[in-house]
Amino acid sequence: MNAAVLRYRVMAYVTGVVLIVLCFVGIPLQVAGKPAVANDVGVVHGILYIIYLVNAWILARKLRLANKPTVLMLLAGTVPIMTFIVERWITRRFIDPALAEQARPAQPVSP
Amino acid sequence: MENAAAAGSSPTVPSSGPSSSGPVWRFLIKPRWLGWHVLMVVSFWGMLWLGDWQFHRALAGNGLSWAYTFEWPLFSGFAVVFWAKTIRDEFRIRRGEMPDPSAAAEDLDELPFGIQQVQVSPVQHGPIQSGMGEPEDEELRTYNAYLARLNAEVKHHGRWHGLRS
Repeated sequence: MNAAVLRYRVMAYVTGVVLIVLCFVGIPLQVAGKPAVANDVGVVHGILYIIYLVNAWILARKLRLANKPTVLMLLAGTVPIMTFIVERWITRRFIDPALAEQARPAQPVSP
Repeated sequence: MENAAAAGSSPTVPSSGPSSSGPVWRFLIKPRWLGWHVLMVVSFWGMLWLGDWQFHRALAGNGLSWAYTFEWPLFSGFAVVFWAKTIRDEFRIRRGEMPDPSAAAEDLDELPFGIQQVQVSPVQHGPIQSGMGEPEDEELRTYNAYLARLNAEVKHHGRWHGLRS
């Protein structure tokens, strides 16, 4: 679980940073007539996103996420800045509780 | 709630198991799932179409498009694989089997015994309140408060891991 979380986080941040470079550096340069950065970074993001997809999916299955958060998690890699937001959200709502549950084994609170 | 079953052994029905009568596959034609099916079919064909578009751009001389020519069909494939696995998992969960033997085996290395089956949801239905008023020990109270907070947090979302509808 911890390894999957780490892999997901690393890919979320790397993909997110590259996408920000693409959108806020590459695209303006492309508009300005210098498409080289956008082309290269675009391909790099494409490859990174594939890795991100696989890792995010693996984590989503481990967390037993429902469909909606899973899809949001996967699509986050295509929207600038969104990976960071979604990573925070997934962490707060799903990863932390899952880790807490894991750290605190079977204590049925039933009366 | 007593998750007696050791991981991977007896097929006890978890609390998130079949909640209604009828064959297990029925959930596939619930409106929510139909919506997901439609989304998946549309995105599958949409991504194939995008791949085809990039292929034609590549043939027209845009060298960059070759990368995307292969990428889009790959995403299409991902969609199918992810979807198939999701549905397979859903069947397993609803039948009360372990979600995924390989993943469970992998988890066993990292988790203390049997923890996969601990679920938050059953606790939320009542014992929290009854537990709160009594002079429980501090640790248990804290834990109950934690569960109550989680419950409040996810209540309006209606979903939690292990709690699928």
